[in-house]
Amino acid sequence: MSVRALWIISYERGESVVVRFSRRYPTVEQRVKCMAGSLYVSVPEDGTVLQLLLTELGLSDSDKPYVALRDDCLHQQRSPALELHVEGPSGGVLWPVLVISQGPLILACLAMVDAPADPRPPLASLFSVSQGLSLLAGLQAFLCGSGSKPDREGLASRLAMMPSILLQICPLGTPLDIPQPGASSASAMPTPAGTQKQPAWKTGVHRGRAVVNVALTEMVRSMQYGNRNRQDLWDVYGTVTCKCEVEGVLPNVTVTLTLPPNGSPLMDVLVHPCVSSLDASVLTAMSVEDCDSSAFSGPYKFPFSPPLEPFRLCSYTSQVPVPPILGTYQLKNDDNQLRITVSLKLHESVRNSFEYCEAHLPFFNRDQMGSVDVKVSSGQLEVSKEKNLLVWVLGQKFPKSREVSLEGSVSFSGEFPGPTDPLCTDLTAYIKLYFRVPDLTLSGCCVDQHSVQVYSSAKPRIVTSRELLSSEYFIWNSTGTAPVSSGHMML
Amino acid sequence: MTTALKTSQHIVLKAIFGSTMSANWPERISAFLRSPSQFLCSTTSDIFLAEVLHELRDDRASDQIKVLLLSPLLEHPTLLCPSVSVGEETALELMSVFAQCSPKSLPLRCNVLLALTSVLLCSCCVSSHTSASQDFLDLLLQMAQDTNDAQAGAALHPLRTTACDCLRELEACLPGLLSQRLELLSSLRQQENSRLHQAYTGLHALALRNAVYLLTQQKGAGAGDLKAALGSNEGFVWGEGADSAHPNSVSHSDLALFSPLTLGPMGKVPSLQTGLDCKELRSLLSSLLEESYLLTSLSQAALLRCLVEVLAMVPAVSPTIFRAQLLRLLGTCKVCLLHTTLLMKAAFTDSLFSAEDEAFLLKRLVGLSQHPLLSTPEKLFYMDCILHFPENRPISSGDESLPVLLTPRLAAALVPTVFNDSVSMLARLNLLSLVYLEEGEEDREGQGGRGLAYLYDHLTSLLRIVENQASREMVVTFFRASFLFLLHFCHVERYSEDLSQKLCDLYLRRTQLAPHFINLADRTQDRLEESGWAVALLRGLQRTITEAPLSQLTLQDLRWHLRILARVAEEGEVLQRATLNFLLCVITSSSSALCVSGDWRLGNGVLGVCRRLLLHPSLDSLLTPLADLLQHLTCHYGETDIQDHARLYYTLLTTLSQEKLAGVLAQRGTERGRQAKVRSLSAIMGETEELTSGLTVHQTERPLLRLVKLDKHEPDECKPEHKPDSEPACETESSPGQGGIEDYRAQFESSSFASEITLQYHLTHTGVHDPHFDKLFSIRLHFDLTDGHYEEVSDISVPCLFRTRKPPTVRLRLKPKQPYHTTLRASAIFTTEDGLSWHSPLADLHVAFPEVFLPLLAPLGWAREKKQRVFEGIWGEICSEQSEGDLTNAATSLFCDQLEESAVGELVEKHFQRYLVSDLDKGRCKVLFFLPPQSHVLLKVITEEDAVQVHIATDNWKLLPYINSYLEDITKEIHSTQQVNGDV
Repeated sequence: MSVRALWIISYERGESVVVRFSRRYPTVEQRVKCMAGSLYVSVPEDGTVLQLLLTELGLSDSDKPYVALRDDCLHQQRSPALELHVEGPSGGVLWPVLVISQGPLILACLAMVDAPADPRPPLASLFSVSQGLSLLAGLQAFLCGSGSKPDREGLASRLAMMPSILLQICPLGTPLDIPQPGASSASAMPTPAGTQKQPAWKTGVHRGRAVVNVALTEMVRSMQYGNRNRQDLWDVYGTVTCKCEVEGVLPNVTVTLTLPPNGSPLMDVLVHPCVSSLDASVLTAMSVEDCDSSAFSGPYKFPFSPPLEPFRLCSYTSQVPVPPILGTYQLKNDDNQLRITVSLKLHESVRNSFEYCEAHLPFFNRDQMGSVDVKVSSGQLEVSKEKNLLVWVLGQKFPKSREVSLEGSVSFSGEFPGPTDPLCTDLTAYIKLYFRVPDLTLSGCCVDQHSVQVYSSAKPRIVTSRELLSSEYFIWNSTGTAPVSSGHMML
Repeated sequence: MTTALKTSQHIVLKAIFGSTMSANWPERISAFLRSPSQFLCSTTSDIFLAEVLHELRDDRASDQIKVLLLSPLLEHPTLLCPSVSVGEETALELMSVFAQCSPKSLPLRCNVLLALTSVLLCSCCVSSHTSASQDFLDLLLQMAQDTNDAQAGAALHPLRTTACDCLRELEACLPGLLSQRLELLSSLRQQENSRLHQAYTGLHALALRNAVYLLTQQKGAGAGDLKAALGSNEGFVWGEGADSAHPNSVSHSDLALFSPLTLGPMGKVPSLQTGLDCKELRSLLSSLLEESYLLTSLSQAALLRCLVEVLAMVPAVSPTIFRAQLLRLLGTCKVCLLHTTLLMKAAFTDSLFSAEDEAFLLKRLVGLSQHPLLSTPEKLFYMDCILHFPENRPISSGDESLPVLLTPRLAAALVPTVFNDSVSMLARLNLLSLVYLEEGEEDREGQGGRGLAYLYDHLTSLLRIVENQASREMVVTFFRASFLFLLHFCHVERYSEDLSQKLCDLYLRRTQLAPHFINLADRTQDRLEESGWAVALLRGLQRTITEAPLSQLTLQDLRWHLRILARVAEEGEVLQRATLNFLLCVITSSSSALCVSGDWRLGNGVLGVCRRLLLHPSLDSLLTPLADLLQHLTCHYGETDIQDHARLYYTLLTTLSQEKLAGVLAQRGTERGRQAKVRSLSAIMGETEELTSGLTVHQTERPLLRLVKLDKHEPDECKPEHKPDSEPACETESSPGQGGIEDYRAQFESSSFASEITLQYHLTHTGVHDPHFDKLFSIRLHFDLTDGHYEEVSDISVPCLFRTRKPPTVRLRLKPKQPYHTTLRASAIFTTEDGLSWHSPLADLHVAFPEVFLPLLAPLGWAREKKQRVFEGIWGEICSEQSEGDLTNAATSLFCDQLEESAVGELVEKHFQRYLVSDLDKGRCKVLFFLPPQSHVLLKVITEEDAVQVHIATDNWKLLPYINSYLEDITKEIHSTQQVNGDV
């Protein structure tokens, strides 16, 4: 249940690839040597590992269109664990190498196999795999910080902290914890000696005014085709994030999620490990099977003892009866022009008060836009600087009719070719919507201030909030072929 | 003995650090960590270790630097401490560093503990039960016992955690080490209330699991033994563990390194028969489980797994004690906790998980495999878990098999889409292929259902993307997906034929994908030979190429076409008339520009096709057009080399019968397919591809040869090879006595004098038996240095090596720059009977320190007396130089050991005989080692009562540590033989 070695690699297209940090665990290696016997393959030096890893990831020799070792179709990389083929007299296959990459960072570790090596045990039976994945994910979150792309200096300084981080979380190859994002808050105090054991995931106790903050964020995804043969798809997933400043070593807090009457049940509920108990009915509904109308639909109670830092208490998915914005998109080739017709309709159940709402109409595999002769019934239209994207800014409100439309034509006569995309050729094109509606959830799920219970001496201040955000909200041109996005619509 | 060692080492250190070495540790350490082998080329591990340890003891160095200095020991202890003795000494040094650290230097102290753990475990000190490891364990346990900061205060938390972690690692490497300490561990865990209880819990749980495992391996162990173990508080149990010195012996505690859940055949877990009475264990497990919530999810998962293993081994305790935790675990968002739950299910099946639980868990896994909030690696892992789902009632036990409960309806959530990343898409395609394959079996028509139709649609959407200038990654993914699809559904002709057709169309649009097409054809032919799909594809490609309008053909396309056609021509089943017509058209008619241009590569491409056509079974029918083509090339191609080759082929074609032609050109190894072509004479004249195969040096998979050291020295080697013939007078004994040392020195004026050592080896085959390599010729041995201590070694030629004959002797001449031990990388290039050249690595050649010794190099005829004078002369010089100050290279030292006079006799006879300057007399003698190029080590051996003193003098202080370990080794050997003799 340990890892043999760990690598952090920075990789940027066109720039050099460097092992920024590596760590080996010789005592784990000693165990592996003993278990694997004659099948033991030692871990090569960093330079070699880097080369092998890049080949496996298909990143080596990026200037060559075909490299047999890298591109062989026999080589089916379809699990989170890679094989590294080490050459030479002491060579062999190093497995399982777990890899997580995000932006310019590649994190990899070699997990220990604590089962007889021949025949190779299934990945799912190796405990070290999930441990390794958790460790890598934790390190990634730490190194990348809040943004998706870490800044150079921030990354360098966090890499410099790696030795001391590993001293705490993985001193000898067995992962014990993941790095805590943002060191312990200022109000954290060392624990008073007492009889209650302090949770290992809590660095101290909170002192001061008790505040509980519960934020509910729902994301809505949609694929609309405007085609009778293709069913439109939409779904919702939500997360409940908490920040609890409550006194005590192991204070008890309960957050309850409620749905409106005849709301569809929350599905695929996942909870943070600090949730101390769960009712079986909370977990029953799942998106992969047909929904049972008589199913449990709340209230969903989550009793927990909070850590000091903000955390994601739970997440869920939900199937709502209608999408918040229903749209149609039609393109027609007309000489050298493209005739565009768009209409968007805001559903009546949705509060007409956006923080922002924009529709993006990108055009790929064409020249830059020349003349744009387009009228909108509401909002403003902007042409991007690169002249390959129309941005329709709808602002904070739809008009009273809750319907807006865009009509006109665009010619592509610019000097330079615009961006390419292998998917969006000919009339295959989409509109992507970006919007945020404060104080709304589509599922109707909410956290009532009064339902948050805190068992502590001081009466806490309780703040709750909710919001709806768009995510991958696509409306496809109904006159072109649109890609299939889910099996359910076909089967 | 230790004192003597210390003295000499101290001299070394003083000499090294008196003057130089201080700066640039960060750079040096990072250079070491980046590539230890490269770093150690410029120094030796002993010297580097000595430097590191010295710097660690230096009070002026900052904590930060010291932490950095520890990292080589933390990460590569086996390189720096290759033996128990070095490990032990290093550990002693580190212990004293630890003791001297300021109490405030917490990170440093923690790192010292980790380094000690690494060094002691990896240099086998712990398994050898050395005193340092005993002291270290005591130290750790003592630190760990300060629960709730009774003594040292909360500031020392990190240190105490690290101590627990170290203990846990020791227990992990030597399972059972703490198995007699369970009571102590249990009470420490219970007492601790700060966050540190996690470290104690981890330690306790692991020790418990190992103790129970060891009990299962004890015959007749039962409830009583278990109870005793739980209440035990005795010493450490020193078994042979992970760092055992005997790699071949597998003891019970070695097996305990494995997870018991995966150990036995067919998942049979070793079990401890306790009867129903194991109250203590049950209550212990309950209390551990109750507190599991307080641990971080990673530690919690590890704890749960330990407990699952314990319970699996003790069937008397019902797994239902996990029930209370189960819902919490099933609902978790953490991959490690859910994974533990799956392992729990695998271990306990229906005794813990009902059928509904099972269905729930599977649906949950499917849901998680496509959850929008999870990362790709997590989703991939969950998909893998579906393919290896631990069913309560498994039907098959294959590699990847679908759980019965995974219906097509359920799996539809995981259908691949073009929005997936490559890896997820392939994983989904694989999973769904398995699902629809089963579904198809129920469908009698054998045409697959809607699911399969979906998968095929998906594949064609990918194909469309590839047509539209997709990225390289997308192209590779498409071909992988096609291969995967064919693996499962090649038998469904409706799709496989259509795919073949679509691929041909794709090829014409994107000819530069030719290597991918050839690769796909090769792979499908290997894996799906019976289906004939690959041949059909190649036939289709041939048709596509030959029927396309010539007017649109570009040179670039032609280049790719020729590669495809060459591959097509390898298929005997495919008629080649069309290919030939195509080539004739291209060469003769429309683009005569091609002939005029004389592009060598294109010409060679055409010849490549022709060459394969010469071997084609239907050659008879191709005779005329092929001859026309070759003749045209011979006469009109604007490149002489191509003309020549074409002429050769033409001659072969027109003069040889088909059988002979095949005999001359026969290339294809029948078994290994296209990959391995056997060279024939014609390859030399053939096209470049074959030429390369003949001229390429092939690589053997494993070392085929080895060098076996011969212990005997050559008889003549004892005498100096050099005769100072310029001064024959000096040789006579009558020359005046005082001249001894000057004469001796005078020999060195010739720079080549005594600069080499010669080592002898037998060159033999290794155990790998392959008759192909029984007779080897023209063997050339090549040696690469791994450090800078020697001059480059010249290659050695050996005419032949037959397995049946006596092995040839190889003399390896080494010219030291510094007389240190070394390792040489060796490799051999040789020719086999069939004329192919091979390259094969040999095992590394280790040259030990004593192998560098030469005896006193006196000119022929020198009397013993004169040699003694030289000895005394050098000895005197060393002593006087040394007393003058530190800055010389001279050094003296003393080595003591307990040895009887008889043993000393044996020692001298065995090891010093060649180097004696004076005979052994009453346990006294003088020994001189000459170490090329310029160093001397002089020993005066004096035996008094039962002790032997070896006085050492050398004109090269850097040799002292090596001399010490050499003396240590040989005396140890004498001790052991004495002991054996005594025992007998």
